[in-house]
Amino acid sequence: MARVIIPFPYRKYTDNEREIVIDAPDLEGTMKRLVQMHEGLNVLFEQPKLLSIFVNGRLVKVQQKDWSQISLKQDDEISLIIPIAGG
Amino acid sequence: MTGLSSLKNIFLPEALWDDVKSHCRRKLAGEYLPGETRVKRAYGMLAGTLDGDAAHVLKIFYFKKNARMHEPLKSYMDDVMNRYAVASKTPLSQRGWITDPEELRECYEICDRDDLLAIGTYHMHIVPWDHDRLRDTPTKLDMILAKNSNLFSFIISLVDPSRPIIRAFYEGIREKEVPIIIS
Repeated sequence: MARVIIPFPYRKYTDNEREIVIDAPDLEGTMKRLVQMHEGLNVLFEQPKLLSIFVNGRLVKVQQKDWSQISLKQDDEISLIIPIAGG
Repeated sequence: MTGLSSLKNIFLPEALWDDVKSHCRRKLAGEYLPGETRVKRAYGMLAGTLDGDAAHVLKIFYFKKNARMHEPLKSYMDDVMNRYAVASKTPLSQRGWITDPEELRECYEICDRDDLLAIGTYHMHIVPWDHDRLRDTPTKLDMILAKNSNLFSFIISLVDPSRPIIRAFYEGIREKEVPIIIS
């Protein structure tokens, strides 16, 4: 059961839930389950270059196609970050 | 549903507004803190609480790192800048700010710990344009970059550094301005 932390700006897609608990063996399964549960979170994946994923505070530096290689353990904490930009 | 789109007012304490102005003026003067990206632009976040249809700013986060030159964010920004930025004397490659993901993650962590909400980010406009002397509204580029952010874009005009102006626009959309009450 990994815990996915949703940043505040995207909690409108999770009925204001900060943390979503998901039972999946790896990062790919967790992300798939997350958007199944909260379809609006697909917005996080619209610009793949922008999404940063942290597992227990460490940046995951693998491409989306390799997410299945990231195994998850009980109570792992996943943070999803979309950077904010200005002109 | 949590959302800022229905806000009617944003209350900004005068002391925090002074801090934001100091941040902008310091960066404009080319004075940098250790670890800070050496560009003459200030970028930060206003965080606070909601009370009905009003937001109260309680904390400022001063972003230190501009990830503009770091891949894969660089190529994303290059593409957006090439398509939407208005030509200026500053090369496109040196314009724009995108938050460092680690710095932003820490900012959100502090907000959660302290029961604060991210209200929006600020950046400054300093060069007057012929058709827009004050530069106190978002550009098309600002709006594109703020799309789907679910945050306010605070525009700080420092065209006249002695008379700074701050205005707030939900997702950088001019028609979605919310008054800021400095108190």
